[in-house]
Amino acid sequence: MIALGSFALGDRTPRSVEEPADAASVAAVLKAATDAGEAAVIVGGATLQGIGNAPARYDRAIVMRRLDRIATYDPRDLTIGIEAGMTIAAVNARLEEAGQFIPFDVPRPHEATVGGTLAAGWAGPRRAAYGALRDLVIGSTVALADGTLASAGGMVVKNVTGYDMSKLYVGSLGTLGAIVRANFKTLPRPAVRRLAVAPIPPDLEGRAVAALASVTVEPAAALVMRGFIGNTPRVHDEDIRLIVLFEGSAATVDRATRELRSQLGAAGVAQTRLYDAAEAERRFQVTLDATIEPLADRSITYRARGIPSAAWARMDTAYAHAERLGLVADAIADLRTGDVYLRVAGATRDAFEPRVAEADASLRRVLSRATLLAGEPSLRAQLDAWGPPPETIGTMRALKARFDPAGTLAPGRYVGGI
Amino acid sequence: MLRVARSMSISVAATELGARLVEALGADVALTQPEDLAVYSFDAYSEDRLPTAAVVPRDAREVGIAMRIARACGEPVVPRGAGTGLCGGAVPRNGGLVVSFARMNRLLELDARNKRARVQPGLINLELSKAIAAHGVFYAPDPASQKISTIGGNVGTNAGGPHCLSYGTTTNHILGIEYVDAEGEVHRTSLDDAGYDLTGVLVGSEGTLGVVTEIDVRLMTLPETVRVGLAAFGDVESASEAVSAIIGAGIVPTALEIMDKLIVDAVEAHYHAGFPLGSGAVLLVEIAGAADDMDASEAVLARIAREHGALSWRTARDAAERDALWASRKGAAGAIGRIAPNYYIQDACVPRTKLPQVMHEIARIARDHRLPVGNVFHAGDGNLHPLLIFDRRVPREVQAVVDAGTEILRTCIAMGGTISGEHGIGYEKRESLSLVFSPDDLAAMGRVRDVFDPARNFNPDKIFPSGAVCGEVKRAQVA
Repeated sequence: MIALGSFALGDRTPRSVEEPADAASVAAVLKAATDAGEAAVIVGGATLQGIGNAPARYDRAIVMRRLDRIATYDPRDLTIGIEAGMTIAAVNARLEEAGQFIPFDVPRPHEATVGGTLAAGWAGPRRAAYGALRDLVIGSTVALADGTLASAGGMVVKNVTGYDMSKLYVGSLGTLGAIVRANFKTLPRPAVRRLAVAPIPPDLEGRAVAALASVTVEPAAALVMRGFIGNTPRVHDEDIRLIVLFEGSAATVDRATRELRSQLGAAGVAQTRLYDAAEAERRFQVTLDATIEPLADRSITYRARGIPSAAWARMDTAYAHAERLGLVADAIADLRTGDVYLRVAGATRDAFEPRVAEADASLRRVLSRATLLAGEPSLRAQLDAWGPPPETIGTMRALKARFDPAGTLAPGRYVGGI
Repeated sequence: MLRVARSMSISVAATELGARLVEALGADVALTQPEDLAVYSFDAYSEDRLPTAAVVPRDAREVGIAMRIARACGEPVVPRGAGTGLCGGAVPRNGGLVVSFARMNRLLELDARNKRARVQPGLINLELSKAIAAHGVFYAPDPASQKISTIGGNVGTNAGGPHCLSYGTTTNHILGIEYVDAEGEVHRTSLDDAGYDLTGVLVGSEGTLGVVTEIDVRLMTLPETVRVGLAAFGDVESASEAVSAIIGAGIVPTALEIMDKLIVDAVEAHYHAGFPLGSGAVLLVEIAGAADDMDASEAVLARIAREHGALSWRTARDAAERDALWASRKGAAGAIGRIAPNYYIQDACVPRTKLPQVMHEIARIARDHRLPVGNVFHAGDGNLHPLLIFDRRVPREVQAVVDAGTEILRTCIAMGGTISGEHGIGYEKRESLSLVFSPDDLAAMGRVRDVFDPARNFNPDKIFPSGAVCGEVKRAQVA
């Protein structure tokens, strides 16, 4: 017996949970839901369900975990076709055997699935170096609300054969269809991965940025972390630290870390600690996990996109603003993509709950384009995860109406009430 | 360039569309005379058809005015870049209004630090990279036509080029789009916005969803070092096997291009870039990145080439020689134009491991149809460009080209490939789209079109098979 409560979103609990075994069954279940006038939510690993609002209606949870196979993989093609329910960790393991990788960069890869990661529009720190997942997806098959299966793209790396429909489904949070399969480009695994962690005194921020910019090798990722004290990478007990990932040949990574250490040293940063291979990967993963990690039951987490050169200042402004509001803040600024992550928490959940709406409005004024990423359901219940919709919302609503006229797929969960 | 028909049907009547456009935008922006319209009647595929009128707007506002008038007159709209498209995408098949971006050709903003720029659609691809090189950045998509083709046209076809191999195609370098819809309203998309990825849907839609008026592009840091190697092979199959082996070995060069004997000889006769004459095929490899890695990478590439029968391996001595090699590669189609009466360039894509097999099949197909064939292609991406040579005055040859082209496409599909890697579907390949996609697949695409362009005003008769793609019809069939 499946516990329905574990599939709850906000205060909505489905009346049934289904686990279709293949693409055709997913399509059949969706058609049945549409015919019955019921609402369905597609469930992957449920790690990123904090993205989006609770659905307005919720009758069926459709769990994709049985679609967990690699559909096709010839490493010599540098492409792979994967069923939606396969976990990211399982995909990573198979790719690693072949000396390849896809920069999924997701929190909790042992639970997160390929379909869920794509539907959530997850775009991690290494996208500046390798492209976002949307850029690496070369084909997809989606089950639509009327029970049809629609494919787009293919297994080739260059393709202008019809509309690039995969782009539409990636990031649609299961509101246009259920991704049942996705095809990706893969990348050869770099020979060396090395993570540099350096504590940054608050008055040295500007010099640290300049030091990083003067390194002649572009890092795979460069993040600044404030707070998130736990098992996230730190050198001592500093609050602010720079976390830089280099990937490439041994010679290039050696040069990069040598330059970074020397430049940071000249800027007054006392120590830069280096981690290699598995240690680097573990610490990088912990950093990714932090982006959705709650602080007990009393926090909510935002992500805001923006331009890279402004990320650190935007983070500092939002952080200071949260503190002025009497909240506990933790934050990450992605210096290569411009993303800012901000987690805010009250002293207790009960203390935060009456003021969360006011704090949310206030924080969004200083952190433009902020959307909710995670958080305690009772705190989020009063908030719109998305903030004000973009100017193109009319077209987005029309797309939803054309793909899912009955409102079967996660109604109300998406931007602007879609 | 399949120049089979040139039927210039000149509409004599002064049209309502033309009159209203001239009244609203002036005779400087709105063109109505046949002699002015002739340049908008064809592209590099070329089945000529005069538009009813053309506009050369200065900004999105003027585009909006033109859209409202076209809509009121019930005339279709065909956006046009430089007209270098090879599939008839810019040809006004049913007359109507052609929108030229010759006046909207500026770089509007450059933010080199954040590697972004905002450009107008008429900006020529190569002009952008030239204008920003001093800032240490470049715009990666580089179709062979980049000296004349526009960024707007590149967005329309999701254009590729030799450097897609490591940098990706146009869609991977577009951050946002301003477009005008059929009602003349201006919209702006951004990858930073919450909601559906409208940017990603617009790129590659070949002008069927709206008229693009501004483009935010992603720039990349110029690589520290670039090295170009050149290997000669006895035949195109062994060169292809070397490519598969290079990719399989986990090396992704920035470009990996093959030219066969016919192409090399034609190119060398014209450019004198130093390609080894008489070899069966030449493999052009570019690696870029940190200086530390160059020698090691080159050693691996040279070893793999030799293991697959390379007769020689050398690298360009300096930037000038490198540029000369690239200039001649990108001018290959033009060089063929100088030795052949007519040629037809096909565009298809296969999984990379299928390269040797597909090259073998292409040679057989050309032989069966008694046509000379040259191959110049983006081997690293599995993106083929067989070039069939014919004389359009000979009816047998024209038919043979059409038949051979179709057979090549079917062969690529059977190998798990597709019918266009970078040129688009346009008018030429619309009927072939149903070889790749099921009615359900096409119906999903049709739903997108229903939303952006319910009246099918934008570039009708392009991309989708003439059998019509309509979600309503589809659903009725299912029910």
